[in-house]
Amino acid sequence: MNVLSCSINTLKGLYDISGVEVGQHFYWQIGGFQVHAQVLITSWVVIAILLGSATLVVRNPQTIPTDEEYGSWVPFIGTMFLFIFVSNWSGALLPWKIIQLPHGELAAPTNDINTTVALALLTSVAYFYAGLTKKGLGYFGKYIQPTPILLPINILEDFTKPLSLSFRLFGNILADELVVVVLVSLVPSIVPIPVMFLGLFTSGIQALIFATLAAAYIGESMEGHH
Amino acid sequence: MANMIMASTKTLISSSPSLPPTTPKPKFHPHLLPHISLPRFPKLPSLKAAALIAATTASSLSLAPLPSFAEEIEKAALFEFNLTLPIMMAQFLLLMVALDKIYYTPLGKFMDERDAAIKEKLSSVKDTSGEVKQLEEQAAAVIKAVRAEISAALNQMKKETAAEVELKLAEGRRKVEAELQEALSALEKQKEDTTMALDSQIATLSQEIVNKVLPL
Repeated sequence: MNVLSCSINTLKGLYDISGVEVGQHFYWQIGGFQVHAQVLITSWVVIAILLGSATLVVRNPQTIPTDEEYGSWVPFIGTMFLFIFVSNWSGALLPWKIIQLPHGELAAPTNDINTTVALALLTSVAYFYAGLTKKGLGYFGKYIQPTPILLPINILEDFTKPLSLSFRLFGNILADELVVVVLVSLVPSIVPIPVMFLGLFTSGIQALIFATLAAAYIGESMEGHH
Repeated sequence: MANMIMASTKTLISSSPSLPPTTPKPKFHPHLLPHISLPRFPKLPSLKAAALIAATTASSLSLAPLPSFAEEIEKAALFEFNLTLPIMMAQFLLLMVALDKIYYTPLGKFMDERDAAIKEKLSSVKDTSGEVKQLEEQAAAVIKAVRAEISAALNQMKKETAAEVELKLAEGRRKVEAELQEALSALEKQKEDTTMALDSQIATLSQEIVNKVLPL
């Protein structure tokens, strides 16, 4: 029965043409652990871009909002926004395909679940830290505000906040990349270009949303005692 | 995405038990493609028999070992957490510290300096407004003094000129009076002279009148 072998040949042929590699990672061994090297490499490029442009920009000073009470969190939120924004746009704009990896391919570092969960966990730690330094152990009183009936929901919030942050960013960036790649492989030339612009727009907005929500969580946990 | 399709079809392409064990090389060997040999029946009697055949095929397929071709296909690893996560956390924190030093702190300093300069300018502006008030008061005082001087000088000049005028007037009056007196005295003299002359004439006249009147 040769039907299966024919379909296998077709599938293999499609696999060769399509060249879409999702979930394929370029692995490095560090100690006893594996890392996704393509994410690290692209994140280093993003960091280099950020630090380089920061040193250039400081020569022409411009304005930064300085609100004294929340002023110490400006570096965190600012870096969060800049990192995610430059990561997303580097994935869309820079010609990563030029560099061939032995396995997997280079793309935005935020298309990996490790990056987005790392940023979301940092945000969680940040808002806990903000609340605890501001209110001490009285911070845990917020779990029974406004009524103790909402205690399970408030506890659940501490898990859903980082979860939603990470998956929102991950899903948006990965899905945008997939859509663009599939469209490019199916319908060449200028048809995917509007989708690429949509991708630039939404990835910029996702950076803004992540940073805004992080700032909102930090502010929310610092409020109350005025 | 194609790999996901390949991964999901993995179970269907496992080799039948009749194939020899697979070679360790992960290459695609076309001659090792699986061949499924169905047990032959003279006819297919019923649906139940067909279902039984399908079940046995499927179970034999799923239990058989994977062919070498499948070794090329990895499972799509979208949700794979490994050491990358803490490394990204550490990188982000280092980036935050570095940006803070390069960008935020100098800018913060610049903003603070600007704020301090603006506050200084504001306070200096307030000081000069006080000075301006002082200067205004001084000017008003000076103007008053000057006006007083002027009025005093004017009064004095008025007095002097009035005195002069009076003097002159008095002189003139005296002159006039003197002349008057002279004229009066001259007149008096003339009067006396004329009276005397008249007296003498009166006497003669009266003599004539008497002479004229009486001799009749």
